[in-house]
Amino acid sequence: MAEELPDPQCLIVADADVLVRNALSEYLRHCGYKVFEAATSDEVMVALEEGAAKIDALLADAELSGKFNAFELRLWVRDHHPDVEIVLAGNIDSAAKAAGHLCDEGPHLQRPYDPESVAAHIKRLLAATRRQTS
Amino acid sequence: MNAQTILVVEDEILIRFILADTLRDIGYQVLEAANGDEGLDILSSGQVVDIMVTDVRMPGNIDGMELTRRAKSMVPGRPVIVCSAHLFRPESYPADEFFSKPYSVDALADVIARLIGDPWQKSSQTHSA
Repeated sequence: MAEELPDPQCLIVADADVLVRNALSEYLRHCGYKVFEAATSDEVMVALEEGAAKIDALLADAELSGKFNAFELRLWVRDHHPDVEIVLAGNIDSAAKAAGHLCDEGPHLQRPYDPESVAAHIKRLLAATRRQTS
Repeated sequence: MNAQTILVVEDEILIRFILADTLRDIGYQVLEAANGDEGLDILSSGQVVDIMVTDVRMPGNIDGMELTRRAKSMVPGRPVIVCSAHLFRPESYPADEFFSKPYSVDALADVIARLIGDPWQKSSQTHSA
């Protein structure tokens, strides 16, 4: 009989900067997670309240905008979804490090690249975008 | 070889997630944007985007029509699929395909495969800005 694989753990990555959000999310998907990407606290709340998947953790930018700021969102999540682990990150390096910790604890022990590479990749993308739009 | 990359631009998070997740399950690489401004950031970042699927009405400074025009001006040969609740398609619209909402994700995936091939089939032209 074929072994049944467990359902993948689900995360929300919330960051107002789409390039940071995309890169962190892709890194976490390589580690085996299913990832919702949210641009605002409003989108986080929709994903938690109306999404079909059970969310295990939220990795959010400390400067997230929307109906709630990041700290208010943390309180709301703690009250309404106490099973969701919450990680707030203040900058790209701490976000990448937090993603690295999630990968360490996550479904797969092997991750494709280290958090420092993730942070460096994000910074290169941001620099490229600024050059294009300046 | 990297999988073909789809940029999904959609302001409703659950629609965006279902579409992106389905396309990833098929084998495509998917970049997600919550509005036109984010879509433009991704197109300007130098990342490879082989095709863009965009909503029309979104909050922010750039709607789907303007984003489509800008995407086409960057890389004219890169396909763009527009999804909208409006049933008419303006003659001057530069998109390659037009889907009325609500749409079947499977039907959209079929059109994507027709425009850019299956996830591991690379065209001779690399679509990056």
